[in-house]
Amino acid sequence: SLMMPSKAISCRTFVLSTWWNKNTSPDATEKIDLDGWKQVMRSGLQEDAHKGALETEEDNKRSLETKEDSKRALETEEDSHVAATRELIEMWRLLGKNVPENISEEQLKNLMECPTNSSKKKYLHFLAVKECVKKAEKIKQEKKREAKKERMENAKENGDYELPNTFLMKFWTKSEDNVYNWRAAQSMIFGQPLVFDMDYDACMTYTELKNAVKQLQESEGVNRRATDPFHLHYCSLKEDSPFHKELIKHYGEAWDKLFVTVTEKSHVEIFPRDQLVYLTADSPNVMKTFDHNKIYIIGSLVDKSIQKGVSLGRAKRLGLATARLPLDLYLQWELGSKNLTLNQMLCILLTIKDTGNWAEALQFVPKRKHAGFVDTMSHEINTRRKAKMYERL
Amino acid sequence: NGYYSPLPFNLFAAGASKKRSASAEVLKDAEYSVTSGRETLCPPEKPLTVEEWKKLMDEFADYYKFEEAMLMQMVTHKSHIDVAKSLLAAVANRDGNIPYNLLVMYLSFCVSQNEIEEIYDVYDIMKARFKTLETTAYGLLIKGLSGTERWREGLKLLEEIKKVITPSKANYGDCIRGAIVNQEINLASQLFREMLANNVMPDLSTIQTLFDTGRTMKDDHMKTELIHILFYLRDYQVYPGEALMQSIKQWFESIPGENWKGSLTTMKKSGRCPSCNQFLESINLSPGEYSTLKEKIIKDVIQGPDIFRKTTPQELEEFQAFVNQQPPYDIVVDGLNVANFNNRSNRSQTLRDVVTYLAQQKPRILVLGRKHMLNGTQQWKRNNMAAIQKIADFFFTEDISEDDPFLLYATLHSGNHCRFVTGDLLRDHKACLSDSHTQRLFFKWQRGHQMVLSRYRPEKIIKFEPVLEYDTIVQTTGNTWHIPYDDNFLERASYEVPIRWLCLQQK
Repeated sequence: SLMMPSKAISCRTFVLSTWWNKNTSPDATEKIDLDGWKQVMRSGLQEDAHKGALETEEDNKRSLETKEDSKRALETEEDSHVAATRELIEMWRLLGKNVPENISEEQLKNLMECPTNSSKKKYLHFLAVKECVKKAEKIKQEKKREAKKERMENAKENGDYELPNTFLMKFWTKSEDNVYNWRAAQSMIFGQPLVFDMDYDACMTYTELKNAVKQLQESEGVNRRATDPFHLHYCSLKEDSPFHKELIKHYGEAWDKLFVTVTEKSHVEIFPRDQLVYLTADSPNVMKTFDHNKIYIIGSLVDKSIQKGVSLGRAKRLGLATARLPLDLYLQWELGSKNLTLNQMLCILLTIKDTGNWAEALQFVPKRKHAGFVDTMSHEINTRRKAKMYERL
Repeated sequence: NGYYSPLPFNLFAAGASKKRSASAEVLKDAEYSVTSGRETLCPPEKPLTVEEWKKLMDEFADYYKFEEAMLMQMVTHKSHIDVAKSLLAAVANRDGNIPYNLLVMYLSFCVSQNEIEEIYDVYDIMKARFKTLETTAYGLLIKGLSGTERWREGLKLLEEIKKVITPSKANYGDCIRGAIVNQEINLASQLFREMLANNVMPDLSTIQTLFDTGRTMKDDHMKTELIHILFYLRDYQVYPGEALMQSIKQWFESIPGENWKGSLTTMKKSGRCPSCNQFLESINLSPGEYSTLKEKIIKDVIQGPDIFRKTTPQELEEFQAFVNQQPPYDIVVDGLNVANFNNRSNRSQTLRDVVTYLAQQKPRILVLGRKHMLNGTQQWKRNNMAAIQKIADFFFTEDISEDDPFLLYATLHSGNHCRFVTGDLLRDHKACLSDSHTQRLFFKWQRGHQMVLSRYRPEKIIKFEPVLEYDTIVQTTGNTWHIPYDDNFLERASYEVPIRWLCLQQK
């Protein structure tokens, strides 16, 4: 009795068509209470309304108390703004927008300092994702703990609780750390220097700075674990600069025990100029081989807005030699910028120092950025094409 | 296809970029012609009973947000309101409650169909249930209430939004429409000014509403307000669309006793309007604007935050000394850009041909290049380079430096008569300028001074696109108005200007 609607033809799923063929009699509409839900919504209210009335009375009392204190009155105005923001976020959450469930006072302050609506939304999204990751981690840990508990109990039941007879005590990470620290200490005397130029506070936003510190932390860790570590220098790191503060915040007490040379001096003051090579993706010179007598400099800059030639500019100002990695010679580049992260740079440099093999060193370039290594045939063509491109620029 | 043959054609004319990419577009279309395989829900034609909905929901139990998706489909399929109501009834029956997100979806359904009574009901329920709402619901309510007798409540909601964030242009637009429908013109113009003060760009449709109202009210206050809006369009280089243009035309023609006559036209190359024979404003900058621009170019584009990023102080100094020694140039040529115009011909030959051609009319030419051009390679033959150096001056920057900033500096330094030759749109340099006012100045100067090679065949054809003499901007002489507008069918890129005009004259 029901017609097939013309609109439906364009749709691919037809799950509903079974419904049209079945039991909808023409007078079904009359049976349905279309506005009943409004009654439901309102009636639910009357129960709440009683509680609400009590609460508002209390609120009134409270507000009277606050009014007595004139100084507080000013504060409440700001508080009301804070409260309004909190409520807005809560309502957004109800709507299903990606906003955090809990938001701290500090985060709320940061939020209100965001200059535009879109920056506010971005910050909220960031907080929501962070919260989500944290929650997932907590659940994972909980599961792990339970699994371990179960394992222990099983072991108890089965009775294999005896201590094994072994010629070695369990090798703890602490002793591992000892070995690494010895090596790092050795590198501080005999190792090849590698400089991180830290004079980029002014070029970065706070988020970028935080990322840079994280990458530095990672680099230092990778270096420490290497068979032949570099002697790392953090140059031009001014006392109490944002960079310094952030590093101390991240490392805590470990900062003073780090096997790294930290100095306020610039790299040109410490090392002879002709030995220095500034590594930057904007450089016109390609680094063909790794020179064990050179001192390479990496700019500690995370640059999400792609400011052109920042580190090249610095190298030019100081009259230093520059070089870029031979990415195009060895990789079929597909997408993404050729700036690599600090830890990727360090991994590449460590490998090339140990092996002298670019193919092995460039394994550390993220796979998503390239389609693979070039074979020698197309490599020739590629370099010739690239040479032409450069001429055209 | 008549829309794509504007006269006179120019790099900055609306549709030029579209035309250039037309061939690429064809390929793209073919690639994406396969329709997406996303499944869609279809709303039922008639309201379902609670039991029927229940069965359906069970069937879709693992479907993400079934109710919300269904309501969204009802909006697009323009279902009958009873169908939507029956869904809410089923949800209420199941849960004894309707969640906020579903209420908002239902509200958007009601707003899209303009069901005023329902909007009132939902609003009252929301007000009772929740202490505050959020921006989506506020926006919908403002829109829904603006046409009704409860429009003033929309203003209250606008205040609520303002407590936390800046309202959107749609929020303001709806409130303004509400005020206008209810004859509160002062309130409307007050809101309009507030919106501009908050740096919210008004929608063209909001402006159109104001002009449409102006037609029905003969009021001097309203007239000054509308003229004020026209000057706003001028200052911010906003171009009306076809609909707004019609409203502006009709408003002018409706002013009693002033006898305005509007006609649609395209300008002559010289800048003379074919319908009233007046000349449009010249594209040349005033001396004040010119010196501001020159100063900013040096400060923001060449020096920037670190002069070493684009050049070196020595190089800049050397260049400035070089330019200062010479009498002003007539034409400055971006050597590399011009040489690369035609891939098949030899680069130095192209450059030589173009410079020789230019030298026939203008005596003083400066060619900018990079040092590698002098190395005498296959592409850069020494004899060609020597020949060019005989008829023009040369300045070579380091291979590592950028040459465009020098091009801009040399042209600006030589004075207003000097032009520059490059096919580059110079957008990255425009972006370096710190404020939008200077960016607009730069764009105006660029349109009036940039020569673009349009055709070249070795030893046969050399053609340049015409440089326009007039400025494309809303303008008046008192008894005429000239307003450029966007054609409905012509896609305009941000660095292009419209080619069609509304000419208004008082007879």
